[in-house]
Amino acid sequence: MRGLVHFMDNIFPKTEKLYRAIYPPKVSAMYWRKDGTISSAAFADSQGLSVERGDFRSDNVVVNSMLERFTGYIVSLYARDCFNVGAILRYLPSNNSVYHSEIHGSESKKLLSKSQRYYLAKKARIVNK
Amino acid sequence: MVKARQMEVRSNIKKYFDMAYEGTPIIVPRKENKNVVIISESEYSRLGRIERIFAYAERLKGIKDDTLIPDKADIDIRTENLDKLFAISTLEDNWNGNGAPSFPRKLIEKVHGIITDLAIQPELFPTALQTIQLEYDNSRKDHMEIEIGMEDMSEVFVVGNSGGESIERIESTARAINERVGAFYG
Repeated sequence: MRGLVHFMDNIFPKTEKLYRAIYPPKVSAMYWRKDGTISSAAFADSQGLSVERGDFRSDNVVVNSMLERFTGYIVSLYARDCFNVGAILRYLPSNNSVYHSEIHGSESKKLLSKSQRYYLAKKARIVNK
Repeated sequence: MVKARQMEVRSNIKKYFDMAYEGTPIIVPRKENKNVVIISESEYSRLGRIERIFAYAERLKGIKDDTLIPDKADIDIRTENLDKLFAISTLEDNWNGNGAPSFPRKLIEKVHGIITDLAIQPELFPTALQTIQLEYDNSRKDHMEIEIGMEDMSEVFVVGNSGGESIERIESTARAINERVGAFYG
């Protein structure tokens, strides 16, 4: 798979999907609200919100790849959802994943604001139910 | 429940402790009816929670507004929340895979006290910021989050049904939260 990856940089097209594994893996249901939506609490991380960029792969391909490293639920968002609330996307490939990226609250702050967390949680959709 | 004589328990202490741990209470009859019961720590905690909930319900009976007296469903949600809080307390360092620290015992105890005394139960979620978030939604489709950490004050974030947002700070106590929640539902 790695050989097929084309060049990626800090430019995220608006329609590119971003995928996030919901932690903690053993109790990922901890973040589900009674109405079936995810809590904004799952989007609070002072280290930056880790995601996998979709790079226009299918949901199945991304989920199968992520489930080799994670367990539990995976949710997706669009890059435009982040832009709409002024969040910043950073492409930060890691040893574990060439697709690893982070969502930051602003250029100078990794933590998303409460408003950004709330909006992104509303936009998140489960992809491996 | 299993009944076992003192001598029998003494000779097979591991067996009976294991049984209690697995959920079977052991009653040990003693002279002058000074009986004892062996139960697991989790069962002991559960009984403590039930006792506190009923003590709370008793306290509320003195209040004239009957709507504030929790019904069975409310008590069930409270128990659910306290169980979830217990699960949160068991999360270890790096529970989110990105360096999130575990939750300090003092914070868990603080939130336990608040949850026990809240008239309207929230939905409850951990954050990677060592805080616990309470969430409420009213019939007007407004949404409210109260983030409780170790500080004396908690941040309250409200999103109205038209999208308007506000942030304020209130005391991190059950009394202050009950008041704020009352206004949210009022």
